[in-house]
Amino acid sequence: MNAPDRYERFVVPEGVKKVSYERDTKIMNAATFTVEREDHTIGNIVRMQLHRDDSVLFAGYKLPHPLQYKILLRIQTTSQSSPMQAYNQAINDLDKELDHLKNQFEGELAKHTRDY
Amino acid sequence: MEGASYQRFPRVKIREVKDDYMKFELRDTDASIANALRRIMIAEVPTIAIDLVEIEVNSSVLNDEFISHRLGLIPLTSERAMSMRFSRDCDACDGDGQCEYCSVEFYLRVKCLSDQTLDVTSKDLLSSDHTVVPVDYSDASSGFDNSTNKGIIIVKLRRGQELRLRAIARKGIGKDHAKWSPAATVTFMYEPEIYINEDMMETLSLEEKKELVESSPTKVFDIDPENKQVIVVDPEAYTYDDEVLKKAEAMGKPGLVEIHAKEDSFIFTVETTGAVKASQLVLNAIDVLKQKLDAVRLSDDTVEADDQFGELGAHMRGG
Ligand SMILES: [Zn+2]
Repeated sequence: MNAPDRYERFVVPEGVKKVSYERDTKIMNAATFTVEREDHTIGNIVRMQLHRDDSVLFAGYKLPHPLQYKILLRIQTTSQSSPMQAYNQAINDLDKELDHLKNQFEGELAKHTRDY
Repeated sequence: MEGASYQRFPRVKIREVKDDYMKFELRDTDASIANALRRIMIAEVPTIAIDLVEIEVNSSVLNDEFISHRLGLIPLTSERAMSMRFSRDCDACDGDGQCEYCSVEFYLRVKCLSDQTLDVTSKDLLSSDHTVVPVDYSDASSGFDNSTNKGIIIVKLRRGQELRLRAIARKGIGKDHAKWSPAATVTFMYEPEIYINEDMMETLSLEEKKELVESSPTKVFDIDPENKQVIVVDPEAYTYDDEVLKKAEAMGKPGLVEIHAKEDSFIFTVETTGAVKASQLVLNAIDVLKQKLDAVRLSDDTVEADDQFGELGAHMRGG
């Protein structure tokens, strides 16, 4: 009866920002990113990519509640970088990794479909 | 300021490809990427499925909603889905979800006129679009007689019973409803690395070696018939059950066998419902993940707002 609509899980409501950013008021170079209508799929890959970044001191995400369709991503960096810079870098690196993966996969597939 | 790149360069090796099944190795990346691809294949790669049913006549033994539910679950060929519009984003029909850009129309009109029970199947669904039709599961290579393959049974009719309806199929994702999931199963496992301490193995009698080999519930090890040595015949049969390790321990030989999961190597198996080809499902998953990443990029106004905040902050700090 009062269950939320299924599309609530992946459609960003009008007037709501997909990603919002909030600086930490107490810790230098720390911030929380709120990503609307995303889950572990995005949260975990971004977190793991941030862990590869030497200037990142902390990166973690949480899905606060299964019926709150958003994730919180917290990043703290050294003074050499900033949370925003690290976040952008992580997304760029992941994007390039997927481009590479797609090329690899297509190349392999061409080899296999030739003799198939 | 541009930071250093920490990009990875994954490698792929395909072992087997069939229309609705494939097996491949993914290397030089981590579990987060492997799992993201798996999750997306199951829940976020779009397909087309029946979403609205208008029943004109139904004198069958199944009620209207029961039949509607069954129709929704029939896999439809969905190569077009990636380039199709979601009804909710369609401007052409303004949310109606019944125009040619965001929907496909089906008709089903069957009546039983004989004493023989009539099977109503997915093959009786008439599509308005020849690219979106119920998946054909008759396989020439399966060896079964194709003439008896009638598709997926929807309902059975006796003499005089009739089913007449119109159905609208729409694009959707598995996250919305499982009927839109193109995946039958998608799994990945860490590639195991099995090391046998040969010196220690030499101290075992043939009987003990056999016991060790038998201790694994899956056939990972065997005894070489030539030199009676324990060999690894199928490392991937290992289910990370620890049984051989416990056995070695119990025999008082810890370290006899060591097994590690390689943290950057994965073996994927992908099976689809037939809505899209298995290989296409993987490629679509990569595209969907790229689109998702693009959607979570920071917008310019967020960056600007922070720049101002930064100046203000510096000002307040006396900078
Ligand atoms: Zn439309």
